[in-house]
Amino acid sequence: MTDAALSLQNAADQRAIGALRRKNAVWRRILRDPPAAAAAIFLFAVVAAAILAPWIAPFDPYANNMRLRLCPIGGARCPDFLLGADNQGRDMVSRVLFGLRATLGMGVTAVVIGGGLGALIGLSAAYFKRLDQPLMRLIDVLLSFPSILFGLAIAAVLGTGLTSLVIALSVAAVPSIARIARGAAQSIMQQEYMEAGRAVGLGDAALIWRYLALNCWPTILIYMTLQLGQAILLGAALSFLGLGAQAPTAELGSMAADGRKFLSIAPHVSTIPCAAIFLVVLAFNVLGDALRDALDPKLRQ
Amino acid sequence: MIGFLLLQVVPTDPATVVAGPSATKAEVEAIREQMGLDRPLWVQFAGYLGRVLQLDLGRSMISNRPVVDEIALTFWPTVELMLACLIWAVPLGISLGTLAARRRGTLIDRAIMALSVMGVSVPVFWVGLLLIQYVGGAGLLPFQGRNGPIWTANGLHSIILPAVTLGAVFVGPVARMTRTSLLETLGADYVRTARAKGASDWRVTIRHALRNAMIPVVTLVGLQIGFLLGGSIVTETMFAWPGVGRMAVGAITSSDFPLAQGAILILAVGFMLVNLIVDVLYAYLDPRIARS
Repeated sequence: MTDAALSLQNAADQRAIGALRRKNAVWRRILRDPPAAAAAIFLFAVVAAAILAPWIAPFDPYANNMRLRLCPIGGARCPDFLLGADNQGRDMVSRVLFGLRATLGMGVTAVVIGGGLGALIGLSAAYFKRLDQPLMRLIDVLLSFPSILFGLAIAAVLGTGLTSLVIALSVAAVPSIARIARGAAQSIMQQEYMEAGRAVGLGDAALIWRYLALNCWPTILIYMTLQLGQAILLGAALSFLGLGAQAPTAELGSMAADGRKFLSIAPHVSTIPCAAIFLVVLAFNVLGDALRDALDPKLRQ
Repeated sequence: MIGFLLLQVVPTDPATVVAGPSATKAEVEAIREQMGLDRPLWVQFAGYLGRVLQLDLGRSMISNRPVVDEIALTFWPTVELMLACLIWAVPLGISLGTLAARRRGTLIDRAIMALSVMGVSVPVFWVGLLLIQYVGGAGLLPFQGRNGPIWTANGLHSIILPAVTLGAVFVGPVARMTRTSLLETLGADYVRTARAKGASDWRVTIRHALRNAMIPVVTLVGLQIGFLLGGSIVTETMFAWPGVGRMAVGAITSSDFPLAQGAILILAVGFMLVNLIVDVLYAYLDPRIARS
């Protein structure tokens, strides 16, 4: 590598560090906002609980015991089950922990796949100007199409199940991330170091990866996080309809659907997973709003 | 087209589904030939396009009735449900948003915004379950099916719970968008002029600012129709409401491909029509758009 290229890379590194430092300032601002701080701490705890579910769950989420069927919260039949038991006498605490794991896992996978694809499209659109129009029209079409219809169509084609669900959620995550990535990349395309990189003879791949992608990723990552709440909500709705995770899988949406039949005699079976989804999505949205406010001057178009 | 292509790569064989589990191989083949499934894909697609243009969407594999008839039966209940939701949720959302913007930074504002975030975050099916549990369970209102058209007393009763469920997740986004948009317009020069000329506070807000603030709100309502569609599919399924969404879900879970295809097609077309209506509404709200 020539000296010029090295010093250029240093400049890019400096910028990346600067961006990170600014992000730290953003985080500090967010944590000073009490609801957002609470949401951040809550999400941290939830993610930790979901990851550690196999180790911290008090019971096996699939071990049924018909004698404890529909045991209410605090019922005398099931003193060890803090949140009661479901229609097959399974411990609700363990099921919710595993359900969180499945639901979050599905959301994260979808956002990573869909967001990665979206980022690729957005960066390509910004870098190769000729691709901009066709790619962005495609994204507009995707964006205007209700994501639940993707869910239905994909479930119709591939059959119901977690795989179809994750594919549907990924497709749904592509367009908005592509837009954000394109916006971020376009502003970086204006920077002098892009021209300088080209002048020292770097190829397209190196320019896109080392200069464009590395400078855009903080923005893209933040938006991917914001998409998680939506992905989880949509995934839970599709699972609730019976188009996603299938019984006996512990997944919050399908658990809520299972409990529906026992609403009048044992409301806790569906209320607990519903409340869990609500709190997680709420936390993502509160945090997302705070992030958007904190980043507003930079991201407002 | 997307609908057709997607449904063509199905791993499940439609002929087997129609024939039923006890059919012999020869019977399955006969049905395959009868349905035209043995012909090349592009022939099937050309035929499909031609038939869609003639409103022939095939027959349901389960009920064996034409898909168009099934859709005709379910279409109006879905429209009815959406209108019943919009009719209370949009005005309420706009009012709450206006109130929040006028009382910016106060406790009222914060409370309305907190409610709106909660509305965006709550799963539709939870709202429905709670209503079924507390209102339906207490025998106050029906929560199973549609008891007639909306203009009859029974029909009106049966639509209340589904419409409240669906609208509950819609008020939040509308309120929030109204607030943001109104705050921007309230800072505009012509609003200051109106105020300088001595117009009262609320008159300025409603006559001068709100109408201009409505454009992003209409956009949002248009865009959120997709979101509403998702909500209505869940709501219809929960309340056994005989609409297109419930039919689509049922068709998918029972592998009734022509019906699923038709239902998804009609949902997509309906969505595009609503977007068209939104574009026309713009022109009404902002005459500048009509001229350009």
